[in-house]
Amino acid sequence: MTQVGLSSPSLPMCPSAMRTTLAFARRELREALTSRWFLLYTAAFAVLAVATSFMSLAGTGSHGFAGFSRTAAGLLNLVMLVVPLMAMTAGATSVAGERERGTLLYLLAQPVSRLELLLGKFIGLSAALCASLCIGFGLSAGVLAWRAGGAGVGSFLSLVGFTCLLAVVTLSVGLLISVSTRKASVATGVAVFVWLTLVFLSDLGLMAGSLLFKFRVQELFSLAIINPLQAFKMSAILGLNASLDVLGPAGVYASRTFGAALPWMLAGVLAAWGALSFLAAALIFTRRAPV
Amino acid sequence: MKLQRAIVTFALFVAGATMTPAIAAEYVSTVGAIEKLIESADPGATVRVPAGRYTGNLRITKPIVLEGAGVVTLDGGGEGTVVELLAPDITFRGFTVTGSGAGIDREPAGIRAETGPVTIEDNRIEDALFGIDLREAPNSVIRQNQIRGKDMELGRRGDGIRLWWSHGCVIEDNIVHSTRDMVFWYSEDLMIRRNRVEDSRYGLHFMYSHHTVLSENVLLRNSVGIYLMYSNEITIEGNTLAQNRGASGYGIGLKDCDGIVVRNNSLLANRVGSYIDNSPSSVDSSGVFEGNLIAFNERGMLMTPNTHDVILTGNGFVENEEQVAVHGRGDLTLNTFTRDGRGNFWSNYAGFDADGDGIGDFPYEAASLFESLIAREPNLRLFVHSPAQQAIEFTARAMPAVRPSPKFADTAPLMTPPTVEIVQIQRSHAGLMTVCAICLVGVAVLVLNVMGRSAVLPGPVAALSSEVLV
Repeated sequence: MTQVGLSSPSLPMCPSAMRTTLAFARRELREALTSRWFLLYTAAFAVLAVATSFMSLAGTGSHGFAGFSRTAAGLLNLVMLVVPLMAMTAGATSVAGERERGTLLYLLAQPVSRLELLLGKFIGLSAALCASLCIGFGLSAGVLAWRAGGAGVGSFLSLVGFTCLLAVVTLSVGLLISVSTRKASVATGVAVFVWLTLVFLSDLGLMAGSLLFKFRVQELFSLAIINPLQAFKMSAILGLNASLDVLGPAGVYASRTFGAALPWMLAGVLAAWGALSFLAAALIFTRRAPV
Repeated sequence: MKLQRAIVTFALFVAGATMTPAIAAEYVSTVGAIEKLIESADPGATVRVPAGRYTGNLRITKPIVLEGAGVVTLDGGGEGTVVELLAPDITFRGFTVTGSGAGIDREPAGIRAETGPVTIEDNRIEDALFGIDLREAPNSVIRQNQIRGKDMELGRRGDGIRLWWSHGCVIEDNIVHSTRDMVFWYSEDLMIRRNRVEDSRYGLHFMYSHHTVLSENVLLRNSVGIYLMYSNEITIEGNTLAQNRGASGYGIGLKDCDGIVVRNNSLLANRVGSYIDNSPSSVDSSGVFEGNLIAFNERGMLMTPNTHDVILTGNGFVENEEQVAVHGRGDLTLNTFTRDGRGNFWSNYAGFDADGDGIGDFPYEAASLFESLIAREPNLRLFVHSPAQQAIEFTARAMPAVRPSPKFADTAPLMTPPTVEIVQIQRSHAGLMTVCAICLVGVAVLVLNVMGRSAVLPGPVAALSSEVLV
């Protein structure tokens, strides 16, 4: 068992603990800025977002009609594919990487608690990811303003907001993977597998199940929203359309049954994924030997 | 000299200001006053009604031209029909008509004509259950009226404009807002152009009404833009149908109609661009869709599997989530997607045009595994817009064994969409979006700059983090 830095429950209220956490956050952010993954992800996301905006406006910009809703569909797909991968691999390498390099032991030898360290990493990486996303979305917004007259500013901002939430949530999942593995390469591998499951396997499985077992709408809907990516997708579509009717019978069922509570439900699913993963990560990290 | 002129001008201005009565209390009377004016006029004469507000229900029983000049309000006080035109050759122009009854059993209207021809123009109708109601009033003209319905739920509203057994009418340049339908019953040879219907149930609704031209109308945010039922030989030309997304949500819906021509319309962002249910219904008839821009709808066209002899050429199917869908299971091979070597433009066409004749070198085949899965199990639409959907489509492209048989084929797909003039229906927020773009990038840079810069760190952590970084 561990000897150092078991967190006391009163820590979040203590100003010095907050300072330490923030210091770790800044360190994480600084490391992100100098690291290749951050630059690569930022550039990749920016290029893809701009390209998606251009492509979805191709041949329609001249009508001054298309606006954001079509671009949103393209961006939605991009976000669901890229953002969880970015966030989960970033989270997965953070703790496991330090452990592998031996710096984790060194950090924990200082008079800081493990929770402060983990929270600091979480905040710093969240800030880095959100900033990276904002750059991509900002450029995409520039394209929209230039080519499509920029209709739908509100829906665009809601998509940005939900995407940042998704990034933070999947980052906590990444951190959970990171604290449970010893090697950075293993952590990355597990993260990619989880990403594959969330993005493709679970949806494909549900589709197959639906065809085989003829799920009723409520069953299909409740099974689908367990997946944080589906919850994100539905929240984003709600932000665009104010209704899930584009998602067919199951969407109409959800809109009819839950009405105004639906966005809170979906945000709750996302928040639960984030909070539970982080809690589990904190528990494992504070209980486990540093090496 | 200059000063003198200034003083004179000022004096004149003051005199003018004091002599015109400062917005006097509105003249209020009953419609009896107008009826007396009409009584004393000769048939066919022009009667100008003095400015003011007249309460009660006006009945006009003499051929006459009644002018309101935009300063006369007729208020039914929430009882019955406000204005009734009970003689032919009446012109009713320039009034504000308000306050009809609300109970649908008596069908109270703003203006009702029981005989024709009549001319109803330049009126503003507000708070009326039915707006303008023509009953057996042939050859009438309804022009440049603005109609706003009562603020009720869709099913309890009345029709903005209704024609009943009124042939040969012209309905043009009207603006209708928040009503049920603009509906035509048993009325033939109409000319319906440049009307605008918004936030209603069916923008233009035809029941058993044949031989009509609908052109350049704008139908926005209704449940259905144009719905033709059991009506034959109708031409729909140059209309804009956008964001009709109610319960049915069709841009154009056709039910059991023969000889329909749909040409050069733009159908944008509706739930379904055009819905075809058993039209043409007779064996020897056909329907024509030509040069329409069908874009950004969830489904560009939705056809029942029994649909036959619909000829689609020169249309642009742009970025519809599903370009052409079958309502139920089956295919659409009884219809023509290519005629005289010209097909349609498909934004998801993957082929190329090597010889540069504007026609793709491979046929466009509408076969999507995900769409055919949705046709089998509609609930699966829940997974639209997700990477899993793309994965399924990719699988179908990579493995021909699982590719479904095509719903139809267009053997000569066009490489460019038709040019259709589109009415500007969305306000531009380019400025706001630019601000949004700058803010997003700005916030990101600020966060990175402020938080990421090495700042004063508290004691031990500063030491260790700088060491770690080194």
